[in-house]
Amino acid sequence: MHNLKTVFSFEFLRTVKKKTFWISVLLFPIAIAAVAGISIASNKATDEALQQSQKEKFSLAITDNTELISPALISAFGAQIQLDKDSGIAEVKAGKVDAFFYYPQDISKHPIEIFAKDAGMFDNSKYDAVAKLLLEQSVSSSVSSSVKAILQGTVTTATTTFKDGAVFDGLKSMIVPGIFLVLFYFVIAMFGNQMLNSTVEEKENRVIEMLLTSVETRTLIIGKILALITLGLLQVFLIIIPTIIGYFLLKNQLSLPSFDLSSLTFDWPRILTGFVIFMLSFLFFTGLLVTIGASVPTAKEAGPFIGVVMLLIFAPLYAASLFVSNPEAGIVQFLSYFPLTAPIPLLLRNAIGNLQLHEVLISLSILLVCTIFVIQLAVRVFRYGALEYSRKLSLKEILGR
Amino acid sequence: MTKPIIVVDKFSMSFGDTKVIDDLSFDVTRGETFGLLGSNGSGKTTTIRALLGAYIPTAGTLTIDGKPYKVDGTVKLGYLPEERGLYKKEKVIDTMVYFGRLKGMSAHQAKEWSLRYLERVELADKASLLVDKLSGGQQQKVQLGITIMNDPELLILDEPTKGFDPVNRRLLMTIIEEHQQKGATVIMVTHQMEEVERLCDRIILLKDGKAAAYGTVKEVKKKYGGKSLDDIFVEIYGGRDDA
Repeated sequence: MHNLKTVFSFEFLRTVKKKTFWISVLLFPIAIAAVAGISIASNKATDEALQQSQKEKFSLAITDNTELISPALISAFGAQIQLDKDSGIAEVKAGKVDAFFYYPQDISKHPIEIFAKDAGMFDNSKYDAVAKLLLEQSVSSSVSSSVKAILQGTVTTATTTFKDGAVFDGLKSMIVPGIFLVLFYFVIAMFGNQMLNSTVEEKENRVIEMLLTSVETRTLIIGKILALITLGLLQVFLIIIPTIIGYFLLKNQLSLPSFDLSSLTFDWPRILTGFVIFMLSFLFFTGLLVTIGASVPTAKEAGPFIGVVMLLIFAPLYAASLFVSNPEAGIVQFLSYFPLTAPIPLLLRNAIGNLQLHEVLISLSILLVCTIFVIQLAVRVFRYGALEYSRKLSLKEILGR
Repeated sequence: MTKPIIVVDKFSMSFGDTKVIDDLSFDVTRGETFGLLGSNGSGKTTTIRALLGAYIPTAGTLTIDGKPYKVDGTVKLGYLPEERGLYKKEKVIDTMVYFGRLKGMSAHQAKEWSLRYLERVELADKASLLVDKLSGGQQQKVQLGITIMNDPELLILDEPTKGFDPVNRRLLMTIIEEHQQKGATVIMVTHQMEEVERLCDRIILLKDGKAAAYGTVKEVKKKYGGKSLDDIFVEIYGGRDDA
């Protein structure tokens, strides 16, 4: 592997020195920050507007056939009693009152009808809020707080589960192995194109012939793959760090769920398995995309292949519920072993905890063999396709040489 | 002139059903300048690519220093291919240092050498520019510099003056002569007969993948009744539009 370090550092540094790399790296956290900022500003403005609109008083008439509304509340609100629906509507139409609420006898079957003066699309919601508020406050005074919580669906539960006699939280043990699934998604989605184009450039620039008399094809390809992997991991790192910082800074403003990191469960065998699946899958797809790039004459012709590869990688996400509910199903087994679809099922099932040891061993063996094969293929394709400046190499030609 | 550095023995090459080279044999002696001549499509570039391991020969052997060429640093090679280019979005100096390092120089040596070369070819102020900011002629000078980095003992130049203006052509000739004086072996693939007469010790003329003439420039001329190389070229390829 003479010159491997030279190829690696050249390929790594030339990408890191490009503005486009940093733009693509920083664009993601910036976009998240921008969306979060808009969301915060919007929520704040909405809350303020809602509070303001609820403070605004309006004249009201009520017909209460439920006989649930407290007369004291009606009086406190300054509402008039209307004996029938038609006269209430007529009062609103005549502009004598701003709103008329008609409470039917059985509100479980019929809606509360609101007739009101138009106050604009946003402010019209105040009528609905007050109509419900009158009912809730009237009823809540007559029931206990527990009954009230049950009826409002605000009852909470606290579950403690045990495994091998010790407290075990399945959800918390999913988080760390699950990170590899997220990493894989990011790295392929954001770096796939660069992998595909990494070997096309030398052909397009006609630098390949001079290069291949200075460095072995195997060294060049492995150097490129190692640089791509390092760049991918760097990119993930540069995305995750600002995202984590953003989470801690903005979690309250965005009402994000709180994670008590001190109570995270570290299931080391699953974490190690997740890491190995992630690295092998990353290596396999890097090798595959480099092979495809090496077999076509221009970046333009490499383009359509990325769509097919992405489809194969991410299609299993549509069967995600099956990976949880029925891991023994034939389709789950197939998707877990077939190398082009395996990463997502394996990483997801490993995170959930239903990936069996024999499945890990078989799937990792398949992935390892396929990774070695695609890297060998990439070397062959690059070596023999290098001088094909204007046409694609067929599989028959590649394997026949 | 001592023992051959390059030996091409019974070399044949086919692409599908098309035979491009047919039982070709010749050798190149260490320290000589050898002209590989022929019309377009006669098999010159194919022979060079097979010699450098880019093509696997259908039959025969091609060796450098007694063995098929391998990029392991045992042969200090400078190769200027017919299809040539550079990394367009890299700085001139970074590109030269990269190739220098691949050829066995340290980063410091490669940088020092590159800056001296760029000074010589009046491109010192372009060292930090991206390659695609250079004109075609300036890029050719950079390619030539990369070819001769680390004092190659074997220089293979495939149509070296293709697209060169007279200034760059003169520079190239000077550089080839300097390397001849240092004892380098030079193989030139060219259509320019005046360059061949000026620089080459021995030549081979390929026609349809076979040797139509082979020997010293003097021997080949004598064989064709003392005609100039231009006239010999026309006589051999006369009826062909691509000659």
